[in-house]
Amino acid sequence: MTRIRVLFGVAAAAMAVGLWFALTAPPDTLQGEYSRLINIHVPSLWLAFLAFGLTALGSIMWLWKQKQHWDRLASASAEIGVLFTAIGLFTGMVWGNAVWGRAWDWGDPRLTTTAVMFFVYLGYLALRNAVDDPLVKARRSSVLGAIAVVQVPLVYFSVNLFRTLHQTQSIRPDGSTMPSEMLVAMLINVAAFTILYVALMAARMDIARVEEMSREPGTLAGDAIKAPKLNEVKDV
Amino acid sequence: MSETVVVAGTFAISYALILAYSVYLHRRRQKAGS
Repeated sequence: MTRIRVLFGVAAAAMAVGLWFALTAPPDTLQGEYSRLINIHVPSLWLAFLAFGLTALGSIMWLWKQKQHWDRLASASAEIGVLFTAIGLFTGMVWGNAVWGRAWDWGDPRLTTTAVMFFVYLGYLALRNAVDDPLVKARRSSVLGAIAVVQVPLVYFSVNLFRTLHQTQSIRPDGSTMPSEMLVAMLINVAAFTILYVALMAARMDIARVEEMSREPGTLAGDAIKAPKLNEVKDV
Repeated sequence: MSETVVVAGTFAISYALILAYSVYLHRRRQKAGS
């Protein structure tokens, strides 16, 4: 618990620094104050990609090793990924409404693939809640978690593969399209959100561990008693 | 609505969601015991 509290303390400080940079960076000439939304929108969706990547890792490792901690990693990461996808979609809609004149467009590949990804991982969480048996729950959700990750590169590269309303990546192999002050603020927020993710993961996995322990059956008096085997009885 | 109000509101709602999730985790951990 102390380790988790320290992690949350570091995450809160990092988020405060991130917010300071987000609010003091110079605004974009065309988009004005709305450009500050990049400091939540991009870090949230970066975190969602990271979270769903770790869900896939945990799922594949569970299918391979069948160790409970891999299932804990996968499920905790999916829950946090869904939260940050929701924040990314919300901030994107507000931003889109301001600069595109519409909050949503089902014809846009980036928006639509992100929405599908959000609903698939909501389905992952619903699947886990629908099953009581821990083994069946882990097996079914691991299969889904390992397959669902194919959406992540599809969402990321959708702006390059299709014609979209959404802009292409701001950071590319050949450099950044952003002014350095805005880029620094965004990268500080990406780092802050990543630290927050680590803290949330530690807390969520700790809860899963404690809840699993409380569900494990205790030793019953009857466990110590064995029925005699027929051949043992016959020899008497 | 002015730009500043919309942006400030969006920041506030996003941070409130993160805070609400953190509080939910804290309460669930307390309920789960040690």
